[in-house]
Amino acid sequence: MKKFLVPFVCTLTLFSCSAETTKKTPPDNRLDKCTLRFSWWGGDDRHNATMKAITLWNARHPSIEIKAEYGGWDGWTEKINTQISGGSQPDIMQINYDWLVTLSSDGQGFYNLNELDHFLDLSGFSEDILSFGMVNNHLNAVPVSLTGRGFFYNSEVFERLGVSFPETWDELIETGNIFYQNGCYPLDLDVQSGGTAWYLSVVYVQQKTGKNFINMDGTLGFTIEDIEEVMEFYKLMEDNHVTRNVRTRIDEDGNGALYQSPSFIDGNVAGVLEWNSAVGKYESVLDKGVLKAGGYLSDENGNNSGWFVKPSLMYAISAETKYPDESAEFINFLLNDDDCAEILGTSRGIPASRYAFEELEKNGKLKGLTKENSDMLGKLDTVTISPYMETTRMKELCNSAIEKVSYGENISITAQELYNDIIEYLESVE
Amino acid sequence: MKKYKNPVGVSRFTGLFLISPFIIGSVLFIIYPFFCSFVTGMTKYDGIHPPEFIGLTNYKNMLQDKHFLKALGVTFRYTIIFVPLKLMVSLLTAVLLSANIKGMGFFRTAFYVPSILGSNLAVAIMWQYLFTRGGLVNQFLEIFGISGVSWYGDQKLSLFIIILLRLWEFGSTMIIFLTSLKEIPREYYEASKVDGCSSFRAFFSITLPLLKNTLFVNAVLQTISALQEFSAPYMITGGNPMKSTYTVGMLIYDEMFSYHNAGYANAVSWVLFVVTSVVVCIMFRITGRIRKELP
Repeated sequence: MKKFLVPFVCTLTLFSCSAETTKKTPPDNRLDKCTLRFSWWGGDDRHNATMKAITLWNARHPSIEIKAEYGGWDGWTEKINTQISGGSQPDIMQINYDWLVTLSSDGQGFYNLNELDHFLDLSGFSEDILSFGMVNNHLNAVPVSLTGRGFFYNSEVFERLGVSFPETWDELIETGNIFYQNGCYPLDLDVQSGGTAWYLSVVYVQQKTGKNFINMDGTLGFTIEDIEEVMEFYKLMEDNHVTRNVRTRIDEDGNGALYQSPSFIDGNVAGVLEWNSAVGKYESVLDKGVLKAGGYLSDENGNNSGWFVKPSLMYAISAETKYPDESAEFINFLLNDDDCAEILGTSRGIPASRYAFEELEKNGKLKGLTKENSDMLGKLDTVTISPYMETTRMKELCNSAIEKVSYGENISITAQELYNDIIEYLESVE
Repeated sequence: MKKYKNPVGVSRFTGLFLISPFIIGSVLFIIYPFFCSFVTGMTKYDGIHPPEFIGLTNYKNMLQDKHFLKALGVTFRYTIIFVPLKLMVSLLTAVLLSANIKGMGFFRTAFYVPSILGSNLAVAIMWQYLFTRGGLVNQFLEIFGISGVSWYGDQKLSLFIIILLRLWEFGSTMIIFLTSLKEIPREYYEASKVDGCSSFRAFFSITLPLLKNTLFVNAVLQTISALQEFSAPYMITGGNPMKSTYTVGMLIYDEMFSYHNAGYANAVSWVLFVVTSVVVCIMFRITGRIRKELP
């Protein structure tokens, strides 16, 4: 017994030591020579714009070099999680809204930006906007922009078929049938990382019932019946060919991203429900001006509530950075600098910073799909998405349930199982 | 004759000194993580906050975890189908390539190349497009009147995409067989030919019995790698559809990196380790007497 006990206790001790968090570096209100790592995800349009902004920064601040780490969204969360677990995360990170819940539930996971006001000017942000980044009275992150998923359609296909963009749920269903007669689909809904199948169906039920799927405090707002209705509506869309069923979708596109698939590029799938801050990647694979923003769907009485809004992306500083002041200065540059705002444009959505917004407006740069969709979203009675709905586990639960429905499993049983799973998950997060 | 002096010198620590890089490496990167993993498996740990000791709770939860049980089923199904197929394909190719025909070196190299490529991203993307509805495989099948095979969407067929990729990489197993085939004395075949034995009979009566140890080694190696399968389903199918290609390796990855459940992920890793060990022990046990018997 002793033979096993000694190595076990030694390992436990070593493990406990390695699990300790490292010491935080306090701000010293001066800028030292250093190299900072900055990571983000996105499409090519965002990568190109950000690299140009970094070039401008490096020219202006030769003593503070920025090293870029970037890639696509798929697998990005896992990469950052691994880096944070191993203490090798970048100094400055573009983070997703739900990471505040999963990586900093006590507010200690990221640097408290309120301590860095010597270099980080937050006067251009409203209190409401900044509240998205507050955790346990710590400002963990600054929202770059607000976003919502909107409809973006291949206008050439709609024109060819003589169909206008749908404005109501009923019109969407009708459009599906017209498209099907011509061998194509008006919209793509997925059960992968985007999870748009669940998203759109939830919006439909939110609009109908006035309830929130998950409340901001992490409690479930829907009943089993509501969840069942979400699934029934999804099935209705599938049956009326609004979207390909899950089987057809993976048969045609495999496990690849929609914007890289022949189905989308060739126009067989003529629409996408995408964050307005990330639509650039879809726009760039079609001819210029072909992708157009469609309206948000409402019921027959014109009720257009229930649509989600959230901070599209946020900038955060690692809690373990050795250069908090320099990192704050760089974030300030990204958020508020006039020249940088012009370079970045709307590659991360319509800027939440008043200074960047005014600069873009002054120079006529606030245009394009992101702006059009953002304006439409601004006129709706929106619902702020709960960060709990955005977590990987929650998405996986909902996507799996939609997949089961698509493969013909019983909706009532699937809804009951999902309800139990969500309750169990939300309790475990608490 | 000139005498060479050992430049290191010989003392009782010399041997230890010479192998110290290996020992240090093993302790740091194998033994320490091995024990750490076991301890982590008995904690609730998200990789960020300090771990909380919870004893065997993760192991108890595993028994009720439908995702784990399904992933275990998929992993076993994959292993049971894949290992015999790979052994058969590798062995038959090795037998064909062992013939003394001009230019055989080219074919040996050509068959080995896929093993070097492995399931990297480029291969995974190529594989994805091969099996989509309009992909090359379906275009080829249409020649024979078979149209629209749902490789990705059919829960029964999707696992075969992964199996086919791994079968395509049969080079290493084939090389091991080829080496053993070369060691079988030609006289056995010549004597059997004199006795009127057909090539088919010679394969079962001479080749297979003399290859039984190699066959066993390859079976063990392939079983271990099949039970740990991760990269191919992760890149090609993502575990879809309906988790029909979702292996235990993928579950460990998701729990660890996507769901911040490091404690549970490590507990599952240990279960996979034990399962693999048990399977290999059973293989040793079952084949023990056969392997010891002389042909």
